[in-house]
Amino acid sequence: MNQIHSPMSTFHFTGQISGGDLFEIGRRGFQPALLSGYGDLSKLRYDFPLVLFKEGNGAPCIRSLCDVVSEILNESAPTGMEGERLRKSALRLEEAVRVLVRDGNKGSLSELWQQAESNLLSQNGGDGTPKLDEEILKTIRDALPENGEVIDYDEDTPEKVMSHAWNTVQEEKARKFSLRLDELTLKLMNILKGDSMKSATAFDPDALKSAVGSSYESAFDFNSMSDILGTAFVPGALPEKRWRRIQSVLSTLKAQKFFPSMSGKNGKKRRENTQTYIFDHCAPAMEAFRLRLPKMVSLVKAMTIAQLEIESRYREATHDPFFRNYDERYLEADDLAMLPAYLICLRNSTDAKAEKADLIEVLSSGLPIKVLAQNDDIVEQLSIASGKLSFGVRGSQLASMALGLNDVFILQASGADLYRMHQSILNGLTHRGPALFSVYSGQSGKRTRTAKNTPEKPLYLRAAAATDSRACPVFVYDPGAGDDWESRFLVDGNPQPERDWPVYEFGYEDKDMQRFSEMIAFTFVDFVAMDDRYGKRFAGVPRSEWNDLMVPASTFMELDDTTAAGKVPYILMIDENNDLHRVIVEARLIQAARGCQEMWQNLRELGGIDNSYARKALAAEKENREAQPEQIAALSDDVETDVESVSEEFTAPSSDEPYIETPRCTTCEECVEINNKMFLYDDNKQAYIADLNAGTYKQLVQAAESCQVAIIHPGKPINPNEPNLKELMARAESFN
Amino acid sequence: MSMPIAECALRLLEEEHPIDDYKGRVPRWCTGCGDNAILAAVQRLCRDEQLAPEKTVFVSGIGCSSRFPHYMNTYGFHGLHGRAMPVAQGIKMRRPDLHVFVVTGDGDCCSIGTAHWIHALRYNMNMTVLMHDNGIYGLTKNQASPTSPQGLKSKTTPSGTLLEPINPVSVSLGIRNASFVAQAVDWIPDMLYDIIEAAFHHKGFSFVRILQRCPEFLPGRFDEWVKDPSRMLLLNHDDGVKVRPELGKVYQNLEQHDPSDRNRAREIASTYHPMPVGVLYRNQEMPCYEDLRKPDRLYTPDVIKSVLEKEFDQFTIHPAA
Ligand SMILES: Cc1ncc(C[n+]2csc(CCOP(=O)(O)OP(=O)(O)O)c2C)c(N)n1
Ligand code: SF4
Ligand code: SF4
Ligand SMILES: [Mg+2]
Repeated sequence: MNQIHSPMSTFHFTGQISGGDLFEIGRRGFQPALLSGYGDLSKLRYDFPLVLFKEGNGAPCIRSLCDVVSEILNESAPTGMEGERLRKSALRLEEAVRVLVRDGNKGSLSELWQQAESNLLSQNGGDGTPKLDEEILKTIRDALPENGEVIDYDEDTPEKVMSHAWNTVQEEKARKFSLRLDELTLKLMNILKGDSMKSATAFDPDALKSAVGSSYESAFDFNSMSDILGTAFVPGALPEKRWRRIQSVLSTLKAQKFFPSMSGKNGKKRRENTQTYIFDHCAPAMEAFRLRLPKMVSLVKAMTIAQLEIESRYREATHDPFFRNYDERYLEADDLAMLPAYLICLRNSTDAKAEKADLIEVLSSGLPIKVLAQNDDIVEQLSIASGKLSFGVRGSQLASMALGLNDVFILQASGADLYRMHQSILNGLTHRGPALFSVYSGQSGKRTRTAKNTPEKPLYLRAAAATDSRACPVFVYDPGAGDDWESRFLVDGNPQPERDWPVYEFGYEDKDMQRFSEMIAFTFVDFVAMDDRYGKRFAGVPRSEWNDLMVPASTFMELDDTTAAGKVPYILMIDENNDLHRVIVEARLIQAARGCQEMWQNLRELGGIDNSYARKALAAEKENREAQPEQIAALSDDVETDVESVSEEFTAPSSDEPYIETPRCTTCEECVEINNKMFLYDDNKQAYIADLNAGTYKQLVQAAESCQVAIIHPGKPINPNEPNLKELMARAESFN
Repeated sequence: MSMPIAECALRLLEEEHPIDDYKGRVPRWCTGCGDNAILAAVQRLCRDEQLAPEKTVFVSGIGCSSRFPHYMNTYGFHGLHGRAMPVAQGIKMRRPDLHVFVVTGDGDCCSIGTAHWIHALRYNMNMTVLMHDNGIYGLTKNQASPTSPQGLKSKTTPSGTLLEPINPVSVSLGIRNASFVAQAVDWIPDMLYDIIEAAFHHKGFSFVRILQRCPEFLPGRFDEWVKDPSRMLLLNHDDGVKVRPELGKVYQNLEQHDPSDRNRAREIASTYHPMPVGVLYRNQEMPCYEDLRKPDRLYTPDVIKSVLEKEFDQFTIHPAA
């Protein structure tokens, strides 16, 4: 306890540097040691830049540049030396594109690729690298997929990716809808056409003439043809009411404005004025939805009526009142699923308080409204009454809160996860109900003036670090994926989900160039350490003062109060010169990290990892099994008894009573042919004795003899006065 | 209420079809004919599956068995001798929404219709085929068929057939694309029903050979199996047909046969002693031709016109002088 007032402890508890050689890390460009390898991202093959593809024809609509190139290499690179050359060239070009994008160039994949090609060719061989071969360049260029826009990671990426995915889903919906609409229209027109061909106008001389065509028109006398045909009786003209109903459905289908009409003359696409579905606030989206509702109802109704008409299943007595009363109150998510979904993109800048109430309304509406809630500041400073500052994680709150609503698809992720999670994004967009995508962009609020003087850390790194540090764990809740949490809730998009904090190997050298490596954890504290605003919560400790009372923050958080006493948590950081430092951490930040850890543990439990219920149930079950092995044996006995009782289903009566083994009857008609009152077929068309008094014992015996499967048992006669009984009973013997 | 509008609208019409709804004209088969048992099983299936009669079609060739469509109150097509399958394929191609059944005989399928049968197996279109095998031409009154027992004296073979019969199940199993091959007998009704039911639920061409008694021309032909249950072999499997417990009492000869095992299926098919009954082979992965050929666009008048114009543009027509 004699250390308690050391400068390190003092800093830990008060955040004040009160002596020793502790120093502020604020302006020295410190960053967590584990990030030391990520100086120039353009040198790395990772998830960004992304290529957003249009009109994929089934191909994925979002791919990383790196995957695009790898796929080309897998598919078109020959083996051996030549393949190796192609590989090298392609990877050089890929890197050149990466650099172009990093430097702010924009464009399609083929444009940027071409630019990278000419850049490399202009210095061909000049910088000591091997010369590029025109032939090889052409092979690669030809293999590049078309229609891709390249985007790098910045604060607009979440919105870009989301609206691109939304568009893709939308186009697919539009294609299906238009196919369906065309099909319904065509079939309805066929009904009307069939009708008009039976009408008087169809037998009009002119109509007949145009049907024959010009080549042979002189061969016919259309007037007499019309006279003859006109007298023919054509049954089945459409009732007036049905004709009008079909007409009205057709015009509703034609007038719809939910999707652009794709079918024009000769199948050419014709884009018409359609409505917008992308909004940046909740209220206007809801308002638009409300205004369009009556049109949706009539479209859905018209399509249903069309379907019934086509199948000749529209019954006026039943369906007229049904459709008259059918209004928006009855509309279901399934009915709306074929229509466009709405996309609302919310940014931090929008007034969060006002939007929150609307957002809850949107999400609990059950409507197909998709919300991107982009978070630009995940570590929020909360002022509390005492004037102290404490930390909270804001990002998780929204998504976790939405978990309480029913039928809402939820994805929480950081922008760095967007590519890995893009299938989930598409799933959320196709989910029939609302969806919330809570995405942390990697920003850290408005940059302070001092911070502006230090070089900015790439946004991507901060976003990735948010996932790694559990500040923004990835999770998906997909109500459409199954009936239970096990299938709906996934946290496996997080690194090392079984751990509280992921650990990574970290290698370094001492001043004698001796190499070391150790496993270190990446925690919420490391994430906060990337944020210039919180530099004051950390203090550097000169190497000369390092001691055993300093423990890594991740270890410190596991200590109870007594063991923690006297110890001080630190994390490893590097400065601009790549020198390694231990940096001690203020207590309140450790407190916040514990909160974050707890939140992650809760999520992880929901995702079925290290679940406390499961743990308890398992322990109970184990105990149970050890206690009573006999019970389990008894259980399987039960099952066997069940099978027995099923096979007892058919019980033979005594041999005096006549009967048929009905389940074995082959419906061969023999017995019913002999007497169709005595023998009848049941609901399965199998024979039984319906009325013994409807015939004679003789007929019963004859039937037994005719029955090829020998299942009629005549028993004893019921009328003792029937002639020849003795002989008949002898014949019956072998069937009883 | 939580139901999409289309479903509500249809529910309003919901009607229960009793078995009588599927009965067509009164069968004119001889009393004792096994065809009756097959008809009863099929009518039971339609009732149990509540198939909409207007969405169901039975297609046949020519023969006693091929009179089947007349006895069903559904759509039907009583076709040409041996040509049931191509007709059924045409129907399935244009109307994949219909339930298509084919009823054919041993003469219809294995004589005059053999080529169609083999290729229908190969095309694997989704339909249920019931091949009534009585080992004789019944309708034309007693001529030997390819499945007649060797030595059978008939009108066309007065001194007895010389050749061994073909085995329709083995032949079917020889076609690589075959996806469902089963054998049933008309005299075990529950098993017959269960096999036809499995065939109906299989997506693809389900071929069921049914041994069928013709008391008129081949009385006693199957007696050794009809009269002696121990000469029957019932194939049991979760992926094929599960033998009902009450049947297991009478027919004690059971084999656990996995229908994905084609080699074992071939061995089983090659023997009649004991007579195997059940699903011999089933492969759910085999694609259906109608799916492979599914049009990717709608044939609207516009589309048809433009396709025809394109085709006609390749020719020059000289008008008659
Ligand atoms: C092209 C043609 N050839 C021959 C016939 C005569 N024909 C009618 S039915 C039949 C054989 C039917 O045998 P099968 O298919 O076994 O039917 P079954 O009557 O036994 O049920 C023949 C050869 C015909 N109708 N058409
Ligand atoms: S004779 Fe036998 S098999 Fe034929 S219908 Fe009657 S009971 Fe059924
Ligand atoms: S001839 Fe044979 S197959 Fe034809 S109906 Fe009569 S019994 Fe049946
Ligand atoms: Mg026959």
